[in-house]
Amino acid sequence: MGSDREEAERRFDRQTALKLAAAVGGAGLVAGRTGIAGAVRTFATAETGRLQVLDWAGYGNDGGQSMFAQYVKQHPANKPQFTYMTNESDALAKIHAGLKPDVFRPYVGWVKYFAQSGLVQPWNTASIPNLKHLNPFMLKAGRYNGKQYGIPADWGFDAILYRSDKVKPQAKSWSLIFDDRYKGKIAWFDDLNMLTLAGLYLGFRDPWNQSDAQLAQSQKLLSAKKKNVRLIWSSETNLWEAFGSGDVWIAYAWPNDWVQMKKKKLPVVYMRPKEKPIAWVGMLMLLAGSPRPQLAHDYVNAWSSTASAKWLEDNYGYGHANTLARPASSDLLTALQLTNPKAVTEPNAHLDRDIPRRAVYARNWEEVKAA
Amino acid sequence: MPLAWLGVFFVAPIAIVAAYSFDVFTLFPGPHGFTISGWRSVVDNHVYLRLFWKSVEMSLIVSVLIVLLAYPVAYYLALSGTKRKYILLLLLIAPFLTSYLLRVLAWKVILGSQGVVNTFLFWTGIRSPDDPVTQLLYSRFAVILVLGYIWLPFVALPIFVSLESLDRRLLEAASDLGASRLRSFWAITLPLSLPGVVAAFFFVFVPTLGEFVTPSLVGGASGYMYGNQIVDLFGAGFPDWETGSVLALFLIGVVVVLTVVFSRFLQPQQVAAD
Repeated sequence: MGSDREEAERRFDRQTALKLAAAVGGAGLVAGRTGIAGAVRTFATAETGRLQVLDWAGYGNDGGQSMFAQYVKQHPANKPQFTYMTNESDALAKIHAGLKPDVFRPYVGWVKYFAQSGLVQPWNTASIPNLKHLNPFMLKAGRYNGKQYGIPADWGFDAILYRSDKVKPQAKSWSLIFDDRYKGKIAWFDDLNMLTLAGLYLGFRDPWNQSDAQLAQSQKLLSAKKKNVRLIWSSETNLWEAFGSGDVWIAYAWPNDWVQMKKKKLPVVYMRPKEKPIAWVGMLMLLAGSPRPQLAHDYVNAWSSTASAKWLEDNYGYGHANTLARPASSDLLTALQLTNPKAVTEPNAHLDRDIPRRAVYARNWEEVKAA
Repeated sequence: MPLAWLGVFFVAPIAIVAAYSFDVFTLFPGPHGFTISGWRSVVDNHVYLRLFWKSVEMSLIVSVLIVLLAYPVAYYLALSGTKRKYILLLLLIAPFLTSYLLRVLAWKVILGSQGVVNTFLFWTGIRSPDDPVTQLLYSRFAVILVLGYIWLPFVALPIFVSLESLDRRLLEAASDLGASRLRSFWAITLPLSLPGVVAAFFFVFVPTLGEFVTPSLVGGASGYMYGNQIVDLFGAGFPDWETGSVLALFLIGVVVVLTVVFSRFLQPQQVAAD
């Protein structure tokens, strides 16, 4: 199957080349030298092979086609080919194991890690016309050493979702996800970010770069409070099921989870804790040595379009970095404060960032789950 | 040929995992060299060992309970003389024609706060809708129940086979010599079916010890098992293949030791059966 497709592509490439050659000849007669130069340039930049995208489930041909519809229109003969990642750690392992994607999409906390690793290269921002519509604070978070390594895409908050008919919070604080009064009714998120959040709650100066003593304290808090936790969710459907059926009343959640639960007619509140929510942003990154950089730029430009952004907001309930997009849902507009470009950053929220000792955090988090 | 097969698909992968565990072989760049730090951290850190014991405990409960449950079923099918035994056996296996995942997920519908069990309790007035039984789902209980359900036929079949091949003349002789049915069960049926029982026990104990799918679907925070930890070390947070490999090898080691011990235990029984 795969080899048939490749064979078809090769045939197509040969046909294209022949057509180009004919065009060059024809253009020579009609347009003279400049025409030839233009056609040669087109030929020289024509990239072969299908664009390889490593992305999360739901963003490829499995329902996410609207995100890159503009790209497909532009390159009908070169539809992207997808491989899926379950998280950044999985993507990292796949790339090291020899997968060669052109584009992939880790989250903002990984930008520095990947930029430093040499696995990715900066984008040529001039080749992404839609860049001018993207949120400047998110764009800044995608830069490393002055170069644009990440193009912001989807985004949202980590905050607290709770059932207002069952739960009476003592304070607008992250303390609610540790609250002993609601033992067995709380859901956490399966991510080392839980340690950052614990650090935030404990009032540490830099929760993303905690000292050993601080990390031990955060770990101790999580291990002690795990007894109250019913579920540590790793997929949203998992959370929706548990929250929707009343198995869980309090959850570490994203704004779209709030929208989903409201749709189920549940009395829910999406709380902004006084320690502030953490904002996360998906960052499209270009792999170093990609043989299809131009196609990759076109693909990312399609993702950045207002049409794609609106589709994402309307269908997946996440925010999009494109500031022109407005979702049909006024709930989402409010939850994400989409009219305020500074919503993701201080003083409104903590924009997620690099964790210098990620491996140590990861091990600490695994120990919490095992405890 | 079988040896080559074993070498390529069993010994070589384990050797690769072992190389990962000592950090001599790795996917990720950076300074690497032979180290036992992964092993040391697992041995020193009681969290992993405690999790292992928790999983052993859960697997033991599952295995013992379903052996006890499956034995009477297999006994009835094999020895009652019913003509429909193969049809009944087929019925026992029938649910297993559907997907494993589907069968696990179906339990969520039954066990949830608004599931079949709780709804029934609300209807009978035993529990109020504001106070459902919450321990049914996202708990150790849920993992034990679902694993038991999944593995029941795998236990019933080996016991059935060992009972089926039982020499009925021995039972007749016992009865002729005046032994009660209970006596002949204890003296003949049970000892002769013991190899099947032990095999059945192992069929369940070994895979459930490393199980990760069922606990991740119905286990919640408290039903987390050793297998989940291995999966997460390899694939979540930040790749830690070194520790993950140590945990995987430790599991293989324990299973190998148990298999050797139990197969020795089985030997005299088989001699007695002969």
